[in-house]
Amino acid sequence: MIKIQHEDIDVETVLESVKSPSSGGVVTFLGTVRDNAKGHNVEQMSIEVYEEMVYKQLEAIESEAQKKFGVHKITVVHRYGDLEVGDNIVFIAVAAGHRGEAFDACRYIIDELKQRVPIWKKETTPEGEIWVEGEKHE
Amino acid sequence: MEINVKYFGQFRDFTGKREESLEVADGITVEAIREHVRGIYPKIAAKEQVLVAVNGNFGSLDQVINESDKVAFFPPVSGG
Repeated sequence: MIKIQHEDIDVETVLESVKSPSSGGVVTFLGTVRDNAKGHNVEQMSIEVYEEMVYKQLEAIESEAQKKFGVHKITVVHRYGDLEVGDNIVFIAVAAGHRGEAFDACRYIIDELKQRVPIWKKETTPEGEIWVEGEKHE
Repeated sequence: MEINVKYFGQFRDFTGKREESLEVADGITVEAIREHVRGIYPKIAAKEQVLVAVNGNFGSLDQVINESDKVAFFPPVSGG
């Protein structure tokens, strides 16, 4: 399941939703707003999404991860809008039969998200606003 | 033909717009419309990488754009 929302992420509910009797484990990744980046302080963060494309890209990544690693259930929740230091940004939960494929799939999803899902961060710093430079798209 | 294009991330600041209509030649490719936009906005032209999406997918450079396509320009993504 893919969700793009402004409101905070209900981590417990997501965790419960991916568990199943045939799954032996759930691996999660929770990304949060850090108070520093590349040597400067960060006071706030604003996140912009191209929503229609975000769903399309994340659904593709979800189905790739399912095929590649044979995991059972995946949920990805990403927030947009104005966030404070310490706020949740993204939560990924992957349930699988065994830990190996769950860790691999979770890592794959966050790495691909950072490459090709159209989301941009803008940091508010003491020196002004800075758009975060993304990694070069391959 | 007229193509509606959207701008995201830093490109919204560079253009001062969320979207606009561009008059371009029929049969224009992704590569050519990218050059067209680089020609209008020097700050976009100065970026190392200008990504183009067509209908929510990353377009290949030789993909031909139709009038009804949704085209978007943006810098490398930085979510997560």
